[in-house]
Amino acid sequence: MKKLISLMNNGLTWAKFKGMKILMKIKESNYIVVILLLVFASGCSSIFIPRYENVIYNDRQPLISVTYDYGEIELRLPLFYPRYRPKQIAFQVYSAGDTTFPLISVMEDPLDEIVLFLPHGVLELKDSTNLIKVMPQDYDFRSFYIPFKGINAGQISLPRKAIDFKPLIVRGIVTLARNDSIISGVDLSVQVFPATLATTKSDKNGMFEMGIPGEFMKSTNIELVAGSNLIFKTFRQKLDYSNTKGIYQYVRIGPSKTLEEPIYLTNKKRVHFRDNPDIGSKTKFLLEEGESVSVKRTTRGEYFGDIEVLLQDGKLVVFDGWIAREDLTLMQLENIFSKENNNENME
Amino acid sequence: MKIWSKIFICILVYTSSLLNGQIALNINAIPRQVEVFLDGESIGKTPIMGYQISPGPHDFELTKKGYAPVTYSLIVNPSRTINLDFYLNPIYKIKFTTEEQGLTFELNKNHQWRKKKIRIELEAGEHLLRVYKKDKVVDEQTILVDEPKHFKYFLKKKLSN
Repeated sequence: MKKLISLMNNGLTWAKFKGMKILMKIKESNYIVVILLLVFASGCSSIFIPRYENVIYNDRQPLISVTYDYGEIELRLPLFYPRYRPKQIAFQVYSAGDTTFPLISVMEDPLDEIVLFLPHGVLELKDSTNLIKVMPQDYDFRSFYIPFKGINAGQISLPRKAIDFKPLIVRGIVTLARNDSIISGVDLSVQVFPATLATTKSDKNGMFEMGIPGEFMKSTNIELVAGSNLIFKTFRQKLDYSNTKGIYQYVRIGPSKTLEEPIYLTNKKRVHFRDNPDIGSKTKFLLEEGESVSVKRTTRGEYFGDIEVLLQDGKLVVFDGWIAREDLTLMQLENIFSKENNNENME
Repeated sequence: MKIWSKIFICILVYTSSLLNGQIALNINAIPRQVEVFLDGESIGKTPIMGYQISPGPHDFELTKKGYAPVTYSLIVNPSRTINLDFYLNPIYKIKFTTEEQGLTFELNKNHQWRKKKIRIELEAGEHLLRVYKKDKVVDEQTILVDEPKHFKYFLKKKLSN
């Protein structure tokens, strides 16, 4: 060490030291070498300090920020108005078929397209159980639901829907007037001459229901026709929808309980029902096929009996008169269906 | 033709993600370039933008050399975008020295050593240092680590001594 110090102090002697000739060319750099050696020595000493094998954590809670960006659902529903526009339309949107809690309720003018905005993620995504209820603010218009499948966010474009009148409903029960038993399988129709608006058959309980377009609500010649497939005269009843959208109608077909036995039915159309049996006597009515006649007296070629006529006010009026024998057939209640539809449906 | 097929695939992926109720995930962290594991799988380094994630429970893990790893469990709400920002705690290199004889040092109740000089890596923040002499606690103090430093320990002497 003393030798090293003496070499450093004496530049000429240091120059003789092998391998250090370059450094000695600059006399002023001697002290730099000393510093380098010191740094080297201190570095080595730090390397020799042992290191603890694991990182030591203090489980300090890291700073974490969570923010959501919620989108919105834009629901577009194009509308059209085949006849008239209601004053306003109310809309309610329900999720997953839960009609107890609407997600949104809005009242809009009758526009050609309604746009509703909903928050993100409120709709059912798996199936089409979300609902829009469309409620025109007019008694004559029908309300309805539109099911649709939801999305989390974005636009839903629904197919165009008509805002139209409520359908007119006629429902009721068909019974045999003779004994009040219900009759199933009876043909029924609603007609506005010459068009047939709806047809159906009475069900196993004798019940029926038909809907006709609401545009006929002001019509005065809507007629319920029942029993065209029975042996009796068809039942016809005017339907008045001026004050209602639904009518319950009892349809009593065939002779009433007041007509006494034996009962015959006319077997063809336009049967003459006359004052007297004489040829040329006055015809009171031309009877339809299936008209019930309660026969009281007979002659060689004529029957004398009573018929019932249903007045507009629903009352039955009895008339008596004469009918040619060949125009009548004895009523058989065992099978009241006409030959074209010869199956027993009476209960 | 290849470009069009790529565009078609992109549109297909995008629409399928929309149909599946996917959420755009954005992750930022300080420092940058932190590796992110989502439910055990690496999804890249921060900043991560527009990664598609489904609503529901998810586990995040962020790691970067020189910083304490972060694990975070989150139930992701149905939304358009979720933004996560993490601030990772740095780990500092500390040189611990003492001139005291026969001491055992313990940090945070589960890291012990007896050496008089040791290099340790500590997460930034407070650490509980407990000093034992012959299995008896002779000192306890909280040390704050907020930079790399040389910690010299001196056992406090009682005035009577």
